[in-house]
Amino acid sequence: MRMIKRLERSPTLILAVITAGFIIFGYSTSILKITDFIIFCIYVLGYDLLYGHMGRLSFGHMLYLGAGAYGTALCAKYLSSNVFLAILCGILFGAAIGGILGPILIRTKGACFALLNLAFNQVGHFLVLVPLAKITGGEDGISLHFTGYRFLDFSNIHQLFFLSLISLILVAFLIIKFTHSPYGILLKGIKENETRVNFLGYNTYRYKLITFVLSTTIAAFAGALTTLNYNYANPSFIDPHRSVEVIFATLMGGAGSVLGAVIGGAAFMTISNYLPRYILRWEMFLGLALLIIAFKFRKGIWGYIREI
Amino acid sequence: MLLGKGRDGVILTVENLEVHYGRAKVLHNIAFKMDEGELVTIVGRNGSGKTTLLKTLGGFLKPSAGSILFRGQRIDGLGPENVALKGIRYVFQDKRVFGELTVKENIELAAYPIKENLEKAVQKVLSVYPRLEKFLHSKAKGLSGGERQILLIGRVLIGQPQLLLIDEPTEGLAAKIISEITAILLSMKGQFSMIVVEQNLATVARLADKIHIMKEGVMFKEITDPEMIRQPSQYENDL
Repeated sequence: MRMIKRLERSPTLILAVITAGFIIFGYSTSILKITDFIIFCIYVLGYDLLYGHMGRLSFGHMLYLGAGAYGTALCAKYLSSNVFLAILCGILFGAAIGGILGPILIRTKGACFALLNLAFNQVGHFLVLVPLAKITGGEDGISLHFTGYRFLDFSNIHQLFFLSLISLILVAFLIIKFTHSPYGILLKGIKENETRVNFLGYNTYRYKLITFVLSTTIAAFAGALTTLNYNYANPSFIDPHRSVEVIFATLMGGAGSVLGAVIGGAAFMTISNYLPRYILRWEMFLGLALLIIAFKFRKGIWGYIREI
Repeated sequence: MLLGKGRDGVILTVENLEVHYGRAKVLHNIAFKMDEGELVTIVGRNGSGKTTLLKTLGGFLKPSAGSILFRGQRIDGLGPENVALKGIRYVFQDKRVFGELTVKENIELAAYPIKENLEKAVQKVLSVYPRLEKFLHSKAKGLSGGERQILLIGRVLIGQPQLLLIDEPTEGLAAKIISEITAILLSMKGQFSMIVVEQNLATVARLADKIHIMKEGVMFKEITDPEMIRQPSQYENDL
């Protein structure tokens, strides 16, 4: 118990545990697969900022992951195959989409916010599939080749693994810093009672917009890394049906904490990657697990560990 | 604490204020003035419009007619965050603090937008009720109703408050806590301008410099005579 409290209070310890965990996990199983896990965890961290910290549930977060993935792919295909430039384009594209949709979306909350996100995700998916098919490759997607930079070559799985891990640590560090500052307290206040926060003299609109754009930017970063990992981008990266995955992972790990998000991301990826080997209709297990979480472990795995 | 005292000593002027909930008019032609440092209480039965008036002053409701002048500047329709930044602080009736935050974080949240030093802010709250110190690092949802109310009252003192709007501070509390809160409000009297909505006439009699009695959305009666204020029996039939 004391160890858990010490872990929670020390950002360095949290980051060290995450790093060590993924290196051990990666080199004892499949480094290729664990790279995928790490990228998904970045996506979950971004989503958790919106849901866990600010209390806004989105049903369409794949739009922002897809924006990052396609931003990276289109840059690599039409502008430059330089990997860093492509990643930057992906991140900026996700941030821009968040910046454009944010002012509309963050005025809403609850079911309206969740469904509007889903609606925009549907629109994005449709745009990629049909009207922009000539640019995006439609259903086939875009295959890519990235050029490295000096000794960096991310077609080497070890280099990509460490790039993803460093990215995860950076995002986790950023979120820890944010949420342990007055900004984090403010987000918790907005989650609990926005009107009261207003009356303390805050323009909550501005803070909600910043949080939303930050969340979409992190999702886009995960999308950019996904494209780099697979060397292609296809419509499954922006498929609204997959938006449930990140919600599931966030709930599973425990919303509102960095460790919860990483545990949830890793647990979800473990289930979705390894369970199909043993159970044909493995999605049913996910559904059952969600029911158990909803009724018995509402604070998720990390929330449960904290309360032991 | 009476910063920027106006030349005529008036901090708040409400003129011909009307408020609607949908098509229903709930405040009719409300008009009054309030002097710097004064403690005005608003009394009336449930549904008489006391909280609606306070919420309108706090910027939560937009009046359909009339004006609210704070130190000579119009504040009606500004919105709660801008009203708060002018130094008008609101203590809600329901005693809801940010339960998932610690007591210290509750204070920090109030101190941050007005750039008050956190330690100074904490000291200000503790000066009102030193016993809160042992709960500083506990989640605020663990506080009793009275402690929550005291935290809320202490929190509005952070920064340079000019006018406090306090909605039913003693409602639903035990007698011992009521006397503690009354003592706190009495100790603040004269340092801040305050409008207190209160149903407990014994408390009103101890606190008020002026009483406004509301009935069905109208300012029905104003009592300014100190002798009369101290004797609730003289006006309880007017409620």
